[in-house]
Amino acid sequence: MPNTPLEKQVPRRSFLDILLGVGVLGAAGSALFPVLRYLKPLPLEAAGGPVKLSDDDLATIESDHFVIVRVGPKRVIVFRDSTEEVHALAAKCTHEGCTVQFSFEETIVWCACHNGRFDIDGRVLSGPPPKPLAEYAVQTSDDGGIIVNMEIA
Amino acid sequence: MSSSTKSNSLLDWADQRYQIRGLIEFLKHKEVPIGGHSMVWYYLGGTTLFFFTIQILSGLLLLLYYQPGQDTSYETIRYITTKVPFGWLIRSVHVWSAHLMILSLVVHMFSTMLLKAYRPPREMTWVTGFLLFSISLGFGFSGYLLPWNELAYFATSVGTDSVKSVPVIGQWLLEVMRGGPDVTINTLYRFFALHIVVLPITIFAVIGMHLVMIQRQGMAPPRGHETSPRGMPFFPNFMLRDLLLWLMCLIGLMTLAVFLPYGPGLPGVEWELGLKANPLAPAYPGIKPEWYFLWIYQLLKEFPAHLFGVEGPEAALGLVSVIMGIWALIPWLDRKSRQGLPTPGFTDYGNASILFIGYLTLKAWDLGGGGGGDVLPDPAAVARTCAIIILGVAAVQIAIRVLVYHHWRFTTTGAVLLQIILHGFFGMSYLLAGAISFVLAMGVYIIRYRGRERVFEGAKS
Repeated sequence: MPNTPLEKQVPRRSFLDILLGVGVLGAAGSALFPVLRYLKPLPLEAAGGPVKLSDDDLATIESDHFVIVRVGPKRVIVFRDSTEEVHALAAKCTHEGCTVQFSFEETIVWCACHNGRFDIDGRVLSGPPPKPLAEYAVQTSDDGGIIVNMEIA
Repeated sequence: MSSSTKSNSLLDWADQRYQIRGLIEFLKHKEVPIGGHSMVWYYLGGTTLFFFTIQILSGLLLLLYYQPGQDTSYETIRYITTKVPFGWLIRSVHVWSAHLMILSLVVHMFSTMLLKAYRPPREMTWVTGFLLFSISLGFGFSGYLLPWNELAYFATSVGTDSVKSVPVIGQWLLEVMRGGPDVTINTLYRFFALHIVVLPITIFAVIGMHLVMIQRQGMAPPRGHETSPRGMPFFPNFMLRDLLLWLMCLIGLMTLAVFLPYGPGLPGVEWELGLKANPLAPAYPGIKPEWYFLWIYQLLKEFPAHLFGVEGPEAALGLVSVIMGIWALIPWLDRKSRQGLPTPGFTDYGNASILFIGYLTLKAWDLGGGGGGDVLPDPAAVARTCAIIILGVAAVQIAIRVLVYHHWRFTTTGAVLLQIILHGFFGMSYLLAGAISFVLAMGVYIIRYRGRERVFEGAKS
């Protein structure tokens, strides 16, 4: 054993203290980790495939000009503008997460919570939202059916 | 005679086992300071505790019928209010008492702040009080979701969404709070556990600490009267007055709960059950959080999408955190009052914060903006109307402060009023007006601080 000066040697007592500290931290960590991991829920099973709007949804578009549907884990607002073109945007406002709506009269997408306004392609027109709404690809069939894809348009 | 011996023997029995006489002696000799300022402020902690007790009792009663769940939360609350005998009353008492508890707590907090009751040795009483305030806001926020109605759903969506602005762990925290990326029934389960188990256990512990500190140290005497010999015995004099006030609170609470079971009809202070939450329905105009969160809600609205490379909501919540942080640490920031010196700057800060929060709260109510239905209120008219009201309040406040309390420091109040005037009457944006006022106030502080240094140097030489 090399000759270490006495003052540089770790005294037995502080060595035991360090050992105790590491032991306590380790025990606390091994108890805490499963709890922290347990708190965070598993990601939702993302059904990423295209979603065909039901007859009820189509009827809602006829009456309200828009409908909000679930596509996998996301909520998507589907609406038909005055040129009969169908759009699909993320329905969750990028500001504080309220659900947006389509105003047919003003041809804008509007969030009632903090008065955020988007154009029909999801770009921010005014108000506090920091980001545009994601736009999704839409296919329309001749019989009036609407299919929303989860790919960003 | 026999009854007195009986009670004495009971006392002896308890005393032999638990040394209870010492406690009674302690309470008999404990005094509440009188003189210096109105004693009214000493009762507000007690009324808060009273309303909290009502919350526990009425909450336990609600638990007998309430069932959390996708198909039961809303339905059982509706069942309680429409079918269960006096169920409407129990719910009404729980809601009214919640609001009155927060109100009493807020007034208690501001009064202890303005009277500088946080001076040593009572710093930790202030800190535990601040914790109680935070936990109470947590109670309000978590309880709001439990009826699972539309209003609750959107208010919770917005409220929890702001958590994502927390640096580093924001996204993790958001998912842990919501039990998923969005507000769902899983969020309600978590909030339910929080509301009826986690928060009660926590608040009992902190209330215990808060009360032990107050009993050990006594009520804070007004500054300059620390050695005042005048006092009122805590037991029985002060306690009986406390009980009388509690009785009056109970009568007031029952009157409100019976005659206004769905709230006073003010926007933002209404608790009609409304429609069941539907994640696929759009938010509707007029969605607002509870009145004590309105100033934060309005601040979120005032911030633009981006500010100095930070997203608006993050900047707004950063500002709220700074304000709250300063508030929690006041006992250490107010250094001169630690030495028993007057600190008019902090008195002014407390008074000004009432005006600052008041203006934002009124604006959140869209006062004087017209609007209603699908018509949006006119923001400029709202800003002007609220500015007029707050200037009126400020005039009264300043008159009282000058004439009654002989205050002479109004820098922060001046800055807040300047911001309100620039924004309300000259159409300047809220943030720009605030920045100008802030810079001017800082300028005044720097000039005053330098002037003081010069005086010190002059005195030295």
